[in-house]
Amino acid sequence: MNDPASARLSALPADARTILAPLVETGWRFRLWAGLLGLVTLWGAVAYYLQLRYGLGRTGLNQPEYWGIYIIDFVFFIGISHAGTLISAILRVSQAEWRRPITRSAEFITVLVLGFGAIQPIIDLGRPDRLFNVLFHAQLRSPLLWDVMSIGLYLTASTVYLYLPMLPDLALIRDSGIKAPRLYRILAAGYRDTPQQRHRLQRVIGVLAIVVIPIAVSVHTIIGWIFAMTLRPMWHSTIFGPYFVMGAIYSGIAAILIAMVLLRRFYNLGDYFRPVHFDYMGRLLLLFSLLWLYFTFAEYLTAFYGAEPAEMRTFWAKVSGPFAVPFWAMVISCFVIPVALMSRRATRTPAGTMAAGVSVVIGMWLERFNIVVPTSVNPRFELESLGHYMPSWVELSIMAGTLSGFALLYMAATKFFPIISIWEVREGREVGLREVAERIEGYLPAQAGAESQ
Amino acid sequence: MPRWGMVIDLDRCTGCGACEIACKSENNIPSTPHDQAVMGRAISWMKVLAEVEGEWPDCRVRFAPRPCMHCDNPPCVKVCPVAATYINPEGLVGQIYARCIGCRYCANACPYTVKYFNWYAPQWEESERAHLNPDVSVRPKGVIEKCTFCHHRLQLARETAAAEGRELRESDYQPACAEVCPSGAIIFGDLDNPLHRVFAARHDPRATRLMEDLGTEPKVYYLARA
Amino acid sequence: MRLDRREFLASVGGGCAGMMLATGCAPSGSGQPDPGWAPGVEVLQNSSCLICPARCGIRARVVDGRLVRIAGNPLHPLSRGGLCPRGPAAVQMLYHPERLRAPRVRATARAGAWRDITADAALELVARRLAELRSAGRPERVAALCGYCSGSMEALWRQFMLAYGSPNLVSDGYDDGTAAIATVMHAIPRNPSYDFDRARLVLSFGAPLFEAWWAPTQAFAALRPTRDSVGRPRFIQVDTRFSRTAAWSDEWIAVRPRTHAVLALGIAYVLIREELVDSDFLARHVDGYEDWTDAGGTRHEGYRAAVLRHYRTEEVSQITGVPVERIVATAKTFADSAPALVVCGSDVTYSPDGLLAGMAVHSLNVLVGSINRPGGVLYRDDPPLAPLATPQLDATARAGMAHRPLAAAAPLGAATARSLAEALVAGDAPPVDVLFLYYANPLASPDAETWAAALDRIPLVVSFTPFPDETSGLADLIVPDLLAQERWQDAPAPASHPYLTWGLTQPLVEPLAHTMDTANFLLALARRLGGSVARSLPYPDFRELLKARARGLFEARRGMPFGDAFETQHQAQMEERGWWLPGTSDFESFWRELVERGGWVDPFHDHTNPAGLSRAPNGRVQLLPARLSELLRQSGSRLAPYLFPVGARQPPGEFPLWLNVYRVSTLASGTLGLTRWLAERPTPLLDTHDEPWIEVNPATARALGLGDGDRARVISPRGQYAAAVRLSPGTAPDVVCAPYGPPHRDARAANPLQLMDRTTDPLTGLASWCTTFVRLEPA
Ligand SMILES: Nc1nc2c(c(=O)[nH]1)N[C@H]1C(S)=C(S)[C@@H](COP(=O)(O)OP(=O)(O)OC[C@H]3O[C@@H](n4cnc5c(=O)[nH]c(N)nc54)[C@H](O)[C@@H]3O)O[C@H]1N2
Ligand SMILES: Nc1nc2c(c(=O)[nH]1)N[C@H]1C(S)=C(S)[C@@H](COP(=O)(O)OP(=O)(O)OC[C@H]3O[C@@H](n4cnc5c(=O)[nH]c(N)nc54)[C@H](O)[C@@H]3O)O[C@H]1N2
Ligand code: SF4
Ligand code: SF4
Ligand code: SF4
Ligand code: SF4
Ligand code: SF4
Ligand SMILES: [Mo]
Repeated sequence: MNDPASARLSALPADARTILAPLVETGWRFRLWAGLLGLVTLWGAVAYYLQLRYGLGRTGLNQPEYWGIYIIDFVFFIGISHAGTLISAILRVSQAEWRRPITRSAEFITVLVLGFGAIQPIIDLGRPDRLFNVLFHAQLRSPLLWDVMSIGLYLTASTVYLYLPMLPDLALIRDSGIKAPRLYRILAAGYRDTPQQRHRLQRVIGVLAIVVIPIAVSVHTIIGWIFAMTLRPMWHSTIFGPYFVMGAIYSGIAAILIAMVLLRRFYNLGDYFRPVHFDYMGRLLLLFSLLWLYFTFAEYLTAFYGAEPAEMRTFWAKVSGPFAVPFWAMVISCFVIPVALMSRRATRTPAGTMAAGVSVVIGMWLERFNIVVPTSVNPRFELESLGHYMPSWVELSIMAGTLSGFALLYMAATKFFPIISIWEVREGREVGLREVAERIEGYLPAQAGAESQ
Repeated sequence: MPRWGMVIDLDRCTGCGACEIACKSENNIPSTPHDQAVMGRAISWMKVLAEVEGEWPDCRVRFAPRPCMHCDNPPCVKVCPVAATYINPEGLVGQIYARCIGCRYCANACPYTVKYFNWYAPQWEESERAHLNPDVSVRPKGVIEKCTFCHHRLQLARETAAAEGRELRESDYQPACAEVCPSGAIIFGDLDNPLHRVFAARHDPRATRLMEDLGTEPKVYYLARA
Repeated sequence: MRLDRREFLASVGGGCAGMMLATGCAPSGSGQPDPGWAPGVEVLQNSSCLICPARCGIRARVVDGRLVRIAGNPLHPLSRGGLCPRGPAAVQMLYHPERLRAPRVRATARAGAWRDITADAALELVARRLAELRSAGRPERVAALCGYCSGSMEALWRQFMLAYGSPNLVSDGYDDGTAAIATVMHAIPRNPSYDFDRARLVLSFGAPLFEAWWAPTQAFAALRPTRDSVGRPRFIQVDTRFSRTAAWSDEWIAVRPRTHAVLALGIAYVLIREELVDSDFLARHVDGYEDWTDAGGTRHEGYRAAVLRHYRTEEVSQITGVPVERIVATAKTFADSAPALVVCGSDVTYSPDGLLAGMAVHSLNVLVGSINRPGGVLYRDDPPLAPLATPQLDATARAGMAHRPLAAAAPLGAATARSLAEALVAGDAPPVDVLFLYYANPLASPDAETWAAALDRIPLVVSFTPFPDETSGLADLIVPDLLAQERWQDAPAPASHPYLTWGLTQPLVEPLAHTMDTANFLLALARRLGGSVARSLPYPDFRELLKARARGLFEARRGMPFGDAFETQHQAQMEERGWWLPGTSDFESFWRELVERGGWVDPFHDHTNPAGLSRAPNGRVQLLPARLSELLRQSGSRLAPYLFPVGARQPPGEFPLWLNVYRVSTLASGTLGLTRWLAERPTPLLDTHDEPWIEVNPATARALGLGDGDRARVISPRGQYAAAVRLSPGTAPDVVCAPYGPPHRDARAANPLQLMDRTTDPLTGLASWCTTFVRLEPA
């Protein structure tokens, strides 16, 4: 470790040294994983090529099972993408001090997973070559078009929202000269961290945090509406907007937890992702698992109570029919497991949250499955025969390729960007402590002695 | 302005399936290879649905030939992001194959499940290639298709009537399925024209439409079995 | 109206890509029209469908010489513009890649490689062989087996074989046994006509009216709303199986296998008991209803007494499985709905006592007098075609014809393919040297093994099949016929249609195969043979033969070329009043009209003609025909009319299920399975594609551990058959329904018919379809 980069790294203050270490040092484990994930991604790309060449017939889709894995993944990934931007914005706006080490890694999830989510419906198109018809012949009545717009907006906003708060850190890297000076000179865009610049940056971040919240909410609301605007049983539901947003945040939190545990382990960030973070995030997860139950119960009760025959066919298909296994697996992994783990402080540890997070992510994928497939195979028209769905290897490969592609890009991102915001953590130490003290003081009644006058 | 529609008399439909074949022949619908058909990918713009009720020795079957309903308020048209499925002023709901991006949103939105997707490029057997109807375009892979009420026949009929300098008659424009039905179960015409048979038929007390409560205003009526 | 109007097609609907494909260009992804495309020349032409006995009128659309579509000919009196699904699907036969494109002969011995030859060479080959046999004085050593072959095609075969000198012509088409019933009861040796249009109730005993019946389109057309009437007859279907006919009918009466006749007589019992019979008709026109004493002084029990003695409703209910109230209600509805008619189907007659069972069913028509009345069962003659040229028999022919036909006919039936096969395998030496197979594929029949052995012995087997079929694999020479869309033929409506109808089939497109149609092949063969054979068939081609026969119609002073509903109605009313006006003055324009409109019809049936009731010497209908008693006595049978063994038949233990084979109407007849559209969706009742299946009651299947879609083997004492199990709630628990028709992937010859025992009705020679028992095993 005598190369100049390492030398420069060790010259940095302790916090920066820890956080920026991954940018400089790359171990064999990283390479191995990157290689494996790269292979899987390539495999997915080959599968897509076959689908592109021969047609969607290479999937397991049919009539009336028009939508399958790709749309499930679309909803799922976009849901996960609510991890970063939305959660970090909410925490920022609510001035939750413990957010500081978390936001960056979460925002990265957003931007990357959003991209992978957004290509899913394109993969699902019969004619991807005509994608731009969406612009040339835009038909504003279609929820699909609203979706194109809101995802586009969200992707832009969250990229900006990831980038701007990264400026001080990018400047730091540029100045330290540990890596690709030319690149970071461009990326840092002349930011010098003058107090004036810092002040302006913080104002912009404040505004962005507020703006990005409704955009994020709109994204998953509209995805919910894509389903809800059709007349299909158990899709045509007013609750779908908020239900989808809630589910999105829920899966997002779970995804952040997983990322935190992994980053903590592989990049020795134990100092930054501390027990309290897992404890707080665990509580958040607990809150959302209860919300999830509430929404799900409300959704299914309404369908059941209304007892419309078409709705009931889908309902029973899920509750006790051919989809009972994915349905109850979803209930267990979205509710039973996370509640059991997160309601006790003793299991709100990194290991416990990891388990709960994985469970919720799987559960939320199953929820998307349970929304898309049972309704698709149970057409409203009762004389139409029931459908069936068995995803083909092409679909599964593309799904695997997407997941590994995301992991790969995320890993790559950790090699180029500090995955914890150095300046914000510093700021927390420097400014936050004082501010919090003042704030708490402000909550309290004035001390008796001071109440003269 | 005519409003084209269909009345299917279930008291006369024996489920013979001639309408399905006539439609396939008229509209260049290829057969589906066996492995695709068992996957549920066969295309049949007209499909005779059957539901068996009861058990031996007391069984009944309900047959319901199902074309596109050409809804006056078509949910499929609303959701298409590129207006590749549209409703024209005479109420015919059509598809623009060259514009469709193949998202299948319309197919999900149609409560009557009458939309068919080209999972692959149509595979024409040699025997099928030869008898293609030159009036109807064949579909490429990856787009949605469905019953068009044989609207290419309307255009031909209009031209013929114009060339002969007369008004369009009921018999000028009949879709292939109505034409072939051996028991005369399919009646087609202008729903608003009292001179057309559909007019009286749709006011028959037996007339219903599928899932009327959805408000889609289908232009295909069914006369319930007496 | 000249229908072959030529007009230019406008390119519409953004179309034209279809044309590109049709002309062989690769499909373009975008569906853009080919810039070089020019509108085509469209021709509409009337003709007839020859796929099944219905012989519907078709209207073909031909664009630039290609057959694009087959629609119905609205002028056709039977089909009235409608078609069954097979009609439009026939376009896929014409262009089928499996078509034989030229005559082919075995290069060496049987089973050697095929070599294509010209039609002329094939003709020469056959003519030389036939001439040799003739000069050897053995013309009877030529045999011909024809499948469904009606009208002038049958006449041509008969004339050819007669003039050549062989009595060995077997024409085994569709015989549903109703002609035998008419022969004994009415002394009219023909199939009945059914006046559905005017009936208020049609009570069918197992007749597949909406499926593979004589003319499904005739039954369909009875449902068509007409200008003046909106009513339609009510259909009650007595059936062992939940057939498509049963499924649609207003009422399905499920009977136990082989008990149709008992149910019919149970209904007769109620009619007699409740005095619902037409006693006036019975008294004036029917013999054998009441007891009688013959010339010798012996007292005979009449129909009435026999029925009252044996068919008490409770017992009938027990045997047939039909509840008592149902029997009574059906009888009352039948009597109340005059005119009501009963149709007897082959379910009833394809059984060891089929003729007697059929008589029991038909007796219901007699009881209510539904014979020779509007809305009843009618008997009519054939269209008044001019006969063929007088056959000339030289000495050789006379000697040949003096031989006894190889295939013995049952007393009340025609010679069958089965009896021919049995004769061909009997004896040490083969009895024939040349066998013609026309529209016949006997290797797909229940007698496949016998036929295989028979063909093996015959030195020259000539098949006229246009497609390779099971049998042609064992032939020495195939001279593929042209298809119906490429040849001339006549298409008389089947007897089931009450009005004399003579349709024409004419070439719609240029032949796609370098071959000769069989009719012209026979005419050419006769010419080559020369002498009296040639003089018996003095026609340059088949079209001229048909035209010559049409002269009979022109001179008959009745009927008309096909016309629209109004013209036809008008003509019927005129004829009813005894008027007839010629539509055309000369034969040539008459012929032209026939060709343009698709055929000739006489829309009037004379109900006052007593020949439509009975042609017995005393002019009466025989409920207990003496001829039948005689035949039964001669054959030593213990059977007697209207007496059926009481007590339900039980399947033997080892084979606990009845085998119920049936014809899938869309795939009936060997080659229909080649049409992809039909093979893809043979029936709307099941979601099944390109695959043979069997129908099993869900409980029965469950007990055997079989689920929907599982493969199973049906095992009979004679063999086994594998197919996919389809759960069918309409199938009785002790029955397996096995449709025949769907082509088998593994072996084309695998056919459930080959499981059947080979019992026949000795009176008619018809095979039994309902006497085989099987067991089911998971495959
Ligand atoms: N798989 C199957 N087997 C069956 C039956 C079935 O429906 N399906 N039916 C059974 C019954 S009831 C009977 S009566 C027999 C009937 O058996 P056949 O009388 O043999 O009748 P098909 O098999 O219909 O037709 C015989 C052959 O005629 C040929 N053919 C078709 N079109 C033409 C044509 O235009 N010209 C000429 N010359 N030949 C043509 C075909 O190649 C076909 O193989 O078969 C029995 N076997
Ligand atoms: N399109 C077309 N139509 C045709 C023909 C054709 O080639 N093409 N061929 C014609 C010919 S040759 C024929 S033979 C006919 C056949 O036409 P159908 O008479 O319809 O022949 P299947 O349907 O085979 O008849 C068998 C019937 O017998 C019943 N059955 C079977 N087993 C039993 C049993 O054990 N007991 C009782 N009681 N009933 C039983 C079955 O339920 C079935 O309904 O079709 C004719 N129609
Ligand atoms: S053609 Fe007519 S009778 Fe046959 S299935 Fe279609 S609508 Fe029904
Ligand atoms: S039936 Fe379906 S496809 Fe047809 S117009 Fe209505 S919604 Fe659209
Ligand atoms: S599949 Fe085609 S027609 Fe249907 S909504 Fe999508 S773009 Fe429109
Ligand atoms: S109207 Fe035309 S396109 Fe529609 S089902 Fe009938 S034949 Fe087919
Ligand atoms: S009923 Fe027979 S003749 Fe008529 S269209 Fe069908 S197959 Fe052809
Ligand atoms: Mo037959």
